[in-house]
Amino acid sequence: MNQELIERIVAEAIRQLEQSGCVVLPNRTEEEIVPQPCEDIVSPACKAVPLLENPLDPEGLARMKKQTTARIGVGRCGARLKTQTALALRADHANARDAVFADVDPKFLESMGLFQVQSACKDKDTYLTRPDLGRLLEKPTLDELKKRCVLNPDVQIYAADGLSSKAIEANLGRILPILVQALEDKGLKVGTPFFLRYGRVGSEEYVAEALGAKVVCVLIGERPGLATAESMSAYIAYNAYVGMPESKRTVVSNIHKNGTAAVEAGAYIAEVIDKILEQKASGVDLIK
Amino acid sequence: MADLLSVGIDIGTTTTQLIFSKIKMENTTGYFAVPRISIVDKEILYQSEVHLTPLLTETLIDSDGVREIVAQEYQKAGIVPSSVDTGAVIITGESARKENARAVMERLSAFAGEFVVSTAGPDLESVIAGKGSGAWAYSLDHHCEAVNLDIGGGTTNIVVFSEGDVIAKGCFDIGGRLIRVENGRITHISPSAKLVAESLGLSVQVGNAADAAQLSKITDRMAELLAESLGLLPKSALLDAVTTNNSTPLTYRTKPKTAVFYSGGVANRIEPLSAEPFPYGDIGALLGASVFRGTLFGETTAQQSTQTIRATVVGAGMFTTTVSGSTITCTSAQFPMKNIPVLKLTPDEQEQCFLGNVQALISRIRWFCEQSETEQLVLALPGKENPEFPEAKRLAVCLADALEQTLPKDAPLLVLIETDIAKAVGILMRSVLGSARDVVCIDCVRVEQGDYMDLGKPLFDGLVIPIVVKSLLFG
Repeated sequence: MNQELIERIVAEAIRQLEQSGCVVLPNRTEEEIVPQPCEDIVSPACKAVPLLENPLDPEGLARMKKQTTARIGVGRCGARLKTQTALALRADHANARDAVFADVDPKFLESMGLFQVQSACKDKDTYLTRPDLGRLLEKPTLDELKKRCVLNPDVQIYAADGLSSKAIEANLGRILPILVQALEDKGLKVGTPFFLRYGRVGSEEYVAEALGAKVVCVLIGERPGLATAESMSAYIAYNAYVGMPESKRTVVSNIHKNGTAAVEAGAYIAEVIDKILEQKASGVDLIK
Repeated sequence: MADLLSVGIDIGTTTTQLIFSKIKMENTTGYFAVPRISIVDKEILYQSEVHLTPLLTETLIDSDGVREIVAQEYQKAGIVPSSVDTGAVIITGESARKENARAVMERLSAFAGEFVVSTAGPDLESVIAGKGSGAWAYSLDHHCEAVNLDIGGGTTNIVVFSEGDVIAKGCFDIGGRLIRVENGRITHISPSAKLVAESLGLSVQVGNAADAAQLSKITDRMAELLAESLGLLPKSALLDAVTTNNSTPLTYRTKPKTAVFYSGGVANRIEPLSAEPFPYGDIGALLGASVFRGTLFGETTAQQSTQTIRATVVGAGMFTTTVSGSTITCTSAQFPMKNIPVLKLTPDEQEQCFLGNVQALISRIRWFCEQSETEQLVLALPGKENPEFPEAKRLAVCLADALEQTLPKDAPLLVLIETDIAKAVGILMRSVLGSARDVVCIDCVRVEQGDYMDLGKPLFDGLVIPIVVKSLLFG
């Protein structure tokens, strides 16, 4: 979309809003109504304004909108969504798709000091259509890990893109340093962190086996929704082995700027890992 | 699940009461998320009788008498002081102005349980009564504003909630026992009642015959003063004269039909006057009848209070304890900690900490300790929602350095952050300090400069700390 089109859409949206009486801009004369610098229609500030015309209880609607990121109070035009709602929906969807299809920027990984390996998937399409290959690490990859990583650590942490590369770029810089520091402060031997491209949760069994880690923890991008594309989870397992049941995994989810802040999640995960080592158990066997 | 046993003790102008309640807490998030412990239920276990507050003289509370009442009620309830986890002893209305109020409180809170706080101050009383009466819950449930008037013997405490937030509060020397009557004669007139009488050109003296018609004029004026205070009538100079010392000016303008709750002893008598004008030997029933006839009652919507005469004690027992966020850092074992003053940084001062400006923070802490004559404090800051790691680290280093240099050697470092980042900051502080210093870093609690805090023993295996935030100790 070019700038001019965006400005026209925004001007139209503002005009409609003013007409509907939902937004009253103070003391505006005719000539002052010129297109504003492009408003970001997917921004929380913009979404907070109800587009519904003449709501019966405007305050009640405002309260409901504060409680949810769902698209309520958006009104309609005939049987359709309003232009702004339709555009915002498509933009959010595009954002979610981008998060899945984009690759984590190699410069970002470099700045984090992480080297990169790849699952058995050759490309993104294979990755998305073959979950089994996304879990699998082939022998050359495992050999490389053995060569480049500290062996037999107490805790092996690594990151994987999973279904959201954006989640990695948004959270990894905040969560990884505190997690490593908190574990080292507890006197634990932390393995060499790295990044796994096209990786799924089940890859942690291969990593744990190859490196002899007591605890393995993968920080992975979650499948994006229309509310956020940046949610990350940590899947943690004690003595992981290939073929291990899913119930042995401990998970900490919803790590993003509107969920649990990444630094705080890192501090919390360090404590969970400490508990896992103490109890020699994870998943449903772990007594929280 | 964990239960806290909470006690509430209220020593009011006229009555002394006590309740025990159970506060239930639970992890309210799912198995796969970071835990969040919340208070899920509250239940009254025992309510005492309504005792008259024992007095030695007009200006002295009978400390032994109060202790005796409390000891008896503990016994009747079958509860030993050591089993009480939390709660509040509060001294309200005119009782708070007695010469030995502070001594009575200290004696009582030492006896009543290890972690029982003693609080006072007209503003806090208003809020506590409003929570006890049900006004607070109503404003939350109905997404509206709700007013509570706690009309007691010596004072009327007013609070206005908007969806659970306190938006206005105030206290006035208007109450049911400002004029007392015995055998048809007036035996006591408080200074504020005298002012009201004088403003009406009435001469009312101790020893005069108690004339219900004359005294009704006075209570009518008192009721209209309450309407003035809530903006329903123009404010008169007399209103200022009967405003309780140290009370916040009440700046709220009540809209028609606003939900209004009445609590306190007089609340039970807001009705037409019965044949007997002085059933309690005071003007309480007259005042109730005046409120019933008055502008306030006429123009607003009176709601059924869940508690009337017990509102303050119920508020003290059930609504003073909160819990911290559930991801915190806590290495100290010296709980409970009581009456710790709060130093709250402004957003600008906090920014300096995020930038690592240790010197600025050190001088701020030193100044605060000097001003408040304290050696211990809770350093509170607004925090950030999603800080970068280096930011969080600079903050932690700055806090650790500044507190380490300013607090006594064995004192734990207490930090409170309003956003949910305390575990991270606490861990990073410990990284700097090593294990020589205890660190307590908690979050998700809102405090203001000038508040005091009590911290209880950690619960749920150290996940949370029960907290009481107090807005005012003795002035």
